[in-house]
Amino acid sequence: MLRWAAIAAVALLLALLPLYGDAVTIQYGINALLVAVLAQAWNILGGFTGYASFGNSTFYGLGTYGTAIAMAQFGLPFWTGLLLGAALAMLCALLVGIPILRLRGPYFAIATLGLSAALSALVANLDIAGRNIGLILPLTRNDTLFYEASLALLAAATLAVAWLSASRFGMGLIAIREDEDAAAVMGVNTTLYKVVALVLSALFTAVAGGIHAYWITFIDPASAFDSTLNVRMVIMTVFGGPGTVLGPVVGAFILSAIYEALASSISTAAALFFGIVIVLAVIFMPRGLVDLGWGFRRMGPRYLLETVRQYRL
Amino acid sequence: MSDALAPLLEARHLTRRFQGLVAVNDVSFSLGEGEILGLIGPNGAGKTTLISLISGTLVPDEGELLFAGRRVERLAPFRRAHLGIGRTFQVMKPFPGLSVLENVTVGALFGTGGGERNRARARERARAMLDFTGLAQRVDQRAEALGGPDRKRLELAKALAMQPKLLLLDEVMAGLNPVEVDEVVGLIKRIRDEGVTILVIEHVIKAIRSLSDRVFVLHHGQKIAEGDPAAVFRDPRVVEAYLGKRRA
Ligand SMILES: Nc1ncnc2c1ncn2[C@@H]1O[C@H](COP(=O)(O)OP(=O)(O)O)[C@@H](O)[C@H]1O
Ligand SMILES: [Mg+2]
Repeated sequence: MLRWAAIAAVALLLALLPLYGDAVTIQYGINALLVAVLAQAWNILGGFTGYASFGNSTFYGLGTYGTAIAMAQFGLPFWTGLLLGAALAMLCALLVGIPILRLRGPYFAIATLGLSAALSALVANLDIAGRNIGLILPLTRNDTLFYEASLALLAAATLAVAWLSASRFGMGLIAIREDEDAAAVMGVNTTLYKVVALVLSALFTAVAGGIHAYWITFIDPASAFDSTLNVRMVIMTVFGGPGTVLGPVVGAFILSAIYEALASSISTAAALFFGIVIVLAVIFMPRGLVDLGWGFRRMGPRYLLETVRQYRL
Repeated sequence: MSDALAPLLEARHLTRRFQGLVAVNDVSFSLGEGEILGLIGPNGAGKTTLISLISGTLVPDEGELLFAGRRVERLAPFRRAHLGIGRTFQVMKPFPGLSVLENVTVGALFGTGGGERNRARARERARAMLDFTGLAQRVDQRAEALGGPDRKRLELAKALAMQPKLLLLDEVMAGLNPVEVDEVVGLIKRIRDEGVTILVIEHVIKAIRSLSDRVFVLHHGQKIAEGDPAAVFRDPRVVEAYLGKRRA
């Protein structure tokens, strides 16, 4: 109960930020919220089934381009653009997922690696996508709208994950992560479950891309299909707690804040910081920040030793 | 004696190769409803491979498999689970990061007929299986924290929670002490009394003798003997291939 009250309070505080925050804070907020959506979306497949996708930056790019093409080329409203982008990304997830989610573990990750580069090359050669110059979207100066839309999307993604963690479907995904052979002989339709998780992940990722495109008003292949964005999704999720409901959000907020603070002074320091965070996180909290907090409450600093011992690092 | 019963499972000329090695070589047998069939043979004989062919973990290179009159040898493992085939793994496959209760709940949520969709009822069924297998004290522990004998019990409880019609047990007594073996033998008999058909792989001869209606011996992937336990254990070929070697 107390936990839900705290979550509701934080959500309200976030929702009211445009009333008390300045323009820079709101812009920073939009970025942080969208990145948190990306981490939460990555969590759906990566955190629950243990399948690391490097195809999510592709879904992001498709969401970006779907929205941009609908608005810039056809003069369609924003919401229609989001829908188109989400449909493209989900279709891509389906087409890619059905063959390669039959692959186990690392092979899936490797198979998704090339996807972004391929799609980026594709749009760079399409007239409708503005070739390698990109597209300019109609300008709307309303950061409050973008902020609230991003927050609503994060709430939707988090509610979806909360539902997952309490549902039969989510239990099937977790069983796949824990032991896929055992899950299969116990009756989990492993391929279907993984594909549905990927499609769900693509949906939230693409909508985040669409909101970002309309906000930024300019997109090109390199920024839309940026594979370093995918790396950030992974880091934030793993840092916060893969397979948990709030871990990816907490991870994204904390890392965004620190990154922003460092990047404004020295950018190499920011890169170095991220590198160090990854190494430390993997060694001391392979189950993420959320599990760390929980373990500390139960057994104090001994938690660190326990995890190191348990994962034999 | 099994001829009187309708066959629940029928294997016809099953063959499975690994590179050059023929792990299961032209094996045929049938399993009557409600029967306990003991499967024995030296290490590397192909017993585990045979179970994997039945559960769908592996697909045969040749041969047919009928379950309740239906061809299943190409079906995905989850479909066979839905039809009512449950198994344990010799190399145990717990869901390490989940609690004992959650481990077993997965079997209840999926399993035969697609499982119990209601999570509360699935958990209830899982608790009943943990009581039955003697793990009631361990419900909240993580599976990876369990000791060997409890892990064996967990394998059994997970498969039972599926409410299978056919249960394939791969050395669930390995590593247990004689008292624990007797307990598990008792459990298996009670499971059969509930109407479950059982294929049991075991090295503990005493257990196999007391459990099995029939015994079936694999050696180098081939069936070398089949029939009444007493007769099979007197068969010189069996003594030579299996018992003799184990005494040596
Ligand atoms: N996945 C596999 N790949 C290659 N060889 C295998 C595989 N599984 C089993 N084998 C081989 O098949 C033979 C039968 O193994 P198995 O069925 O495990 O025997 P058993 O359970 O009777 O001890 C062994 O020689 C084993 O090495
Ligand atoms: Mg074996």
